Amino acid sequence: MNPIADVYTGASNGLREVWSNKVRSLLSMSGIILGVAALVAMVGIVQGMLGNLRASFESSGGVLRLEVHPREAPESQQHIAGISPGMTWRDIVAIEKAVSLAANTTPIVDMSWERFVANGRREGAILHGVTPGFFGIYTKDLKYGRLISDYDVGAKSPVIVVGSHIANDLFPEQTNVIGEQVRVRGQVYTIIGQIKSTASSGFGGGRSGWNREDRLNYIPATTAMSRYKGDDEVDRIEILALNVETVPDLIEQIENTLTQTHRGIQDFEIRTQDEQMAELKKLENSFTFSLGGIAGISLLVGGIGIMNVMLASVSERIREIGVRKAIGARSHDIFIQFLAEAVVISVLGGLLGLVASVGLLSVARDLIPQGEAINIVPVTAMLYGFLFSSLIGLASGIYPALRASRLDPIDALRYE
Amino acid sequence: MTDPSTVFALKDIRRTYKVGSELVHAIDGLDLTIRDREFIAVIGTSGSGKSTLMHTLGFMESPTEGQMAFEGEDVSSISRSQRAHLRATRIGFIFQSFNLLAKLTVLDNVLLPLVYSRQKVSNKKELGMNALERVGMEHRATHRPSQLSGGERQRVAIARSLINKPRLILADEPTGNLDTKNRGRIMDLFGSLLDEGITLALVTHDDEVAQYAKRRIRMQDGKIVEDTAQ
Repeated sequence: MNPIADVYTGASNGLREVWSNKVRSLLSMSGIILGVAALVAMVGIVQGMLGNLRASFESSGGVLRLEVHPREAPESQQHIAGISPGMTWRDIVAIEKAVSLAANTTPIVDMSWERFVANGRREGAILHGVTPGFFGIYTKDLKYGRLISDYDVGAKSPVIVVGSHIANDLFPEQTNVIGEQVRVRGQVYTIIGQIKSTASSGFGGGRSGWNREDRLNYIPATTAMSRYKGDDEVDRIEILALNVETVPDLIEQIENTLTQTHRGIQDFEIRTQDEQMAELKKLENSFTFSLGGIAGISLLVGGIGIMNVMLASVSERIREIGVRKAIGARSHDIFIQFLAEAVVISVLGGLLGLVASVGLLSVARDLIPQGEAINIVPVTAMLYGFLFSSLIGLASGIYPALRASRLDPIDALRYE
Repeated sequence: MTDPSTVFALKDIRRTYKVGSELVHAIDGLDLTIRDREFIAVIGTSGSGKSTLMHTLGFMESPTEGQMAFEGEDVSSISRSQRAHLRATRIGFIFQSFNLLAKLTVLDNVLLPLVYSRQKVSNKKELGMNALERVGMEHRATHRPSQLSGGERQRVAIARSLINKPRLILADEPTGNLDTKNRGRIMDLFGSLLDEGITLALVTHDDEVAQYAKRRIRMQDGKIVEDTAQ
């Protein structure tokens, strides 16, 4: 007895059987093909999308970024809440002076959605008033020009750093829009900087799909306050910590400073990114488990399909089994033969599924916004997909193979 | 029992089946000795036990009771896989309905027993072609069984039974599905196998076919009622 020779004989018999029943084999493989393709494609897409989320989280300071938002004063301070000046430019000045643990600080004067006009065209986008500290928190790659400087903030300069959306759509003929002018709510700005598109390289990167990052535009915070707000109120403050260890101390410093500028009124709250980080983790986990479950079920269905076909194949070939046994095949030989057929079907199905998944992923890469992050050959997912499909083939082949091997040769030969 | 010229020695063999609550004695106390190069025809009505005798001789089933020796060795109660091994190496089977595998070529059908005999054979194809030449079918080696006539298929089946150089060939109504002309050719072929040291036993309803055999055994109710050797 030579197990390797048995498996070799079984596998070559299995291949021959699969080949001589091409249509039926392909149909029985279809479940596994779709299962593996779906599994690998979904995992690949989700990995790409989560990668994007992670990258944008990291490029906006990650867990080091703190946000200070205004809020209602607590019940006990309601009657004296009026003595607080609220969140203002003075908070920025105080933080920059007193909070030594802050690496960068910026106010955000949030104009939200504005209509940008230039060159006879109009386009909707987001406008934020910021200080140079903003660009120390958020990583922005310039295509041309410069970012907002301390001078711009001091002089309330009418200058703007535009995102790729405004640059492309208002000035479609120009690659470099530095020196051009845009109008927002009647105010004219000179473009000093042009930010690179985040949905950059690759096929379809130039299309103006909906990408929030690319629709962000920046002016000096002081300019925004004086031109649109009429006072020195800011919508929120963002602060970057030096490192993870000093975050608790930094929070304390901010709290102390703002308690002074707000005259003891607790009408602000400091938010950390821990929650967002936890959300991100939760999102990753829920995707992994739900997709794993769906893919597992579809592979299981594929396995049931194979079992069904194998059972039908056993009933169809009872006489053949009888002949093989009559000329000397042992039960063990018949078992290996049918098991090998099931494994050959599932392995071939798994391989075809992998090929299909590469196709699906390259289509997804082109269709999904920011799809460049999708890896069309997610090796780990592919290995798992292939392994599972082979195991399912093995499992679904055992019962039919046992039935075939247990047939009595005399009964099998008499079977009509 | 150790006489090398004895192929089979059966002593007081019984084979009993349970059908519902009733016991059926398919073979009911049978003594039989088959010698080297004998050509035996087993005749009898259906239900006489001749098929059960063939299955017992072909190691497809074991007797319920009795002594059975093959080539001098006691084989009364050997295991399933030992029986399979003997089927693969010492016995050739020929069936009424040929039982060739439709998906394999003629040559692959002939070579199939080699897969299960587990003997190292280097010149497989040559052996197969020799067997096909022996039955005059070498020109059809690459055809499928469905492309052959009944007589041709039975000749291929004979080639398949010859491939492992068996000691004994068992044929169950080998000419049952053939016309007179082909019947004659197959029976002549059987006759020539004897010269090669092969022992033959066939089951038949057909008295004309039985006339080709030198020894005729008639069965009835699981017993031998007539044996021309005695």
